[in-house]
Amino acid sequence: MKKITVIVRNLPLNTRRNSEALRMSVGLTLKNDKVTVIFMDDGVYSATHLEPGIVNSRSPDREFEALSMLGCSLLADKPSLDKRSVKNLRENVVPAAREEIVNTITESDIVIPF
Amino acid sequence: MKLGILLTTSPENENTNTVINISRAAIRQGHEVSIFLMYDGVYNINNKEFAALVDDRVSIAVCAFNVEQRKIGKVDGIVFGSQYDHACIASEVDRLISFG
Amino acid sequence: MVIRAGYGDKMVELDLKGEVCPYTFVKTKLKLEELESGEELVILFDHAPAVENVPRSLKNEGHKIMGIEQPEDKLWKVKVRKA
Repeated sequence: MKKITVIVRNLPLNTRRNSEALRMSVGLTLKNDKVTVIFMDDGVYSATHLEPGIVNSRSPDREFEALSMLGCSLLADKPSLDKRSVKNLRENVVPAAREEIVNTITESDIVIPF
Repeated sequence: MKLGILLTTSPENENTNTVINISRAAIRQGHEVSIFLMYDGVYNINNKEFAALVDDRVSIAVCAFNVEQRKIGKVDGIVFGSQYDHACIASEVDRLISFG
Repeated sequence: MVIRAGYGDKMVELDLKGEVCPYTFVKTKLKLEELESGEELVILFDHAPAVENVPRSLKNEGHKIMGIEQPEDKLWKVKVRKA
């Protein structure tokens, strides 16, 4: 079993990249590898409850539900949260100190910044 | 060594040229190369130089869902696959590089 | 291949209409985990790429595709026997 980490760093509503990163993360569980998603920099906004319908974009609710059900770790970089005063994280997304983020990345077999 | 490459940008990005060159170099040195295209990366199948990598024994699979969203036609030699194919590549390769 | 009427004593159906990749395969995989080896599952798809990819992925996982049929436009039934 490999450890795969996907890093989400972009603003959520300017692009479909973040939703696609989450969909890809769901897919990466299909060979029973351990998948972790890290939200950092502007990517932390993706880990909150937004209203993408306002900009005619689809909600990533399904991706978050699937990732939680499949036992994936969802970490939000605490310094990125603090810098942006982001507090309303989605259920199952855990704030993580920078040290934990670094450990997760260095212990991974594959890191995918998406 | 088995090398996996994930490409998520369209052919206008310099990533395409880098992926072509890395893939050719790896094949020349006797390595196996598997590329997975998703998001705007699926547009690369319309780039002749990129698609020609299959003639150099590079394995290329695309996310068929992204292809369908972008109304792109099928190309011979390229697998119109799924995220399962990406999971297989990630699981089987010795190294995976992401270009996004 | 054609799915014949009559699936034996136990036939489990999984309706994946409206689902796209990778949820088509994720849900199929989870459903198969509930079944015993040799039991069969009929999966309903309306997402065309899934009709090629899910059976290919299932075969790669060692399961046997017993039949694929298209009863109506944009609706496919795939029957799989669990390995």
